[in-house]
Amino acid sequence: MLHEFSYLAPRERKDLLQLLKKHSSQARLLAGGTDLLCEIRLGTDRPEVLIDVKNIAEFRGIAFSEQDGLAVGAAVTCVELMEHPVVRKRFPLLAHAAGQIGSAQLRNRATIGGNLCTASPCADLGCSSLVLGARVELVSARGTRVIPMKDFFTGVKATQLKDDEAVQRVFYPVVAAGAKWGMEKLKRIKGHDLAVVSVAIARTTQWLRVGIGSCAPTPVVAADLPPNASVKAVTEAALKAIDPIDDVRASREFRLAMVQEFIAKLLPALS
Amino acid sequence: MKIHVKVNGKDYTREVAGNRTLLRFLREDLGLTGTKEGCGAGECGACTVILNGKTVNSCLVLAPEVDGGVIETVEGEAKNGKLSKLQEAFHRNHGVQCGFCTPGMLMSVKSLLKIHPKPTVAEIKEAIEGNFCRCTGYQQIIESVLDATGQLKPRKEEIRRVR
Repeated sequence: MLHEFSYLAPRERKDLLQLLKKHSSQARLLAGGTDLLCEIRLGTDRPEVLIDVKNIAEFRGIAFSEQDGLAVGAAVTCVELMEHPVVRKRFPLLAHAAGQIGSAQLRNRATIGGNLCTASPCADLGCSSLVLGARVELVSARGTRVIPMKDFFTGVKATQLKDDEAVQRVFYPVVAAGAKWGMEKLKRIKGHDLAVVSVAIARTTQWLRVGIGSCAPTPVVAADLPPNASVKAVTEAALKAIDPIDDVRASREFRLAMVQEFIAKLLPALS
Repeated sequence: MKIHVKVNGKDYTREVAGNRTLLRFLREDLGLTGTKEGCGAGECGACTVILNGKTVNSCLVLAPEVDGGVIETVEGEAKNGKLSKLQEAFHRNHGVQCGFCTPGMLMSVKSLLKIHPKPTVAEIKEAIEGNFCRCTGYQQIIESVLDATGQLKPRKEEIRRVR
């Protein structure tokens, strides 16, 4: 059973911002609910108010222009990302990462905003979005701010989001044509599971970035490596960026080894 | 709040509390107990229903969220006491053991067949990735789907091939 709470579903962005201002820390934003409703069921989170953002136009939809890049509404689901023709063509790493999350049922509900705001160290859209240089748009009745995703995550399940703020969109700059990418996610089973270790790499003629999940309090990225960096150099940069722990899914040593393994596997395949 | 939904083609209007899950709404408010609660956390898929054309774990959806929605459950399969083609194939191939995962399995497979009328084994496996069968009868479930789509090879041939 879920504890008693009020369910509110504003249709206008301004109403949402007012509700957030009013209820502040007593409210949680509801998008796909695949993380939030689990927390509520477990009793680890007991908000008084749930505010559904799915009916607000500004939180929905995917827009693209050569000038501004990709803008993804926070309530866009994993399946919408996976199936969107522009995302598939121009941001294939993002479409792929969305497909790595959960099962079909979960991907039909889970959203990009939810995945990022849950801020699990293993968030599949976390390490991939970091590699793509994403920025997060935070809105509140006080105004709007846009911050780099690497600053958005502040710890295990912790972000910069203030009590009266919501993530409205996620922005991705245009990736130059000819960019190469690869991602590996280690799971305990072949079916749906959280990442034991995940590594995403993207390379353009200008830069090389490696994003790593489940190996630090947040998803992390080793950015701005030269595009011709060797496996050794990339591995060194990656190991410097992470600090894995022993937990129920794997040991620190195993994670360190798998990061090296994945980089050695992914990098040569990019050329 | 008051919600209006269409479940298996039938209209319902009901008053629901904010914390009512779609699963409990179906089972307790509408009496449609075919859909089962397994883990209650989106892991097992026993509660899978089709919401607006897409499979969802009904334990992780709130009833007020589905206002105006169209829902398909296992109760929509059999018509006039006659099993659907898919249910018949599950029956024929022993795709049902304890039966607890079956309503969810059927919904995931039904959703798959809308996109892939003749799915490969790999596509079937991927489609039921989020549906656990704790009797571990996956092989028979896969065979049931192959049979329902006219792709099941005679058993002897299968055995020979494996050997």
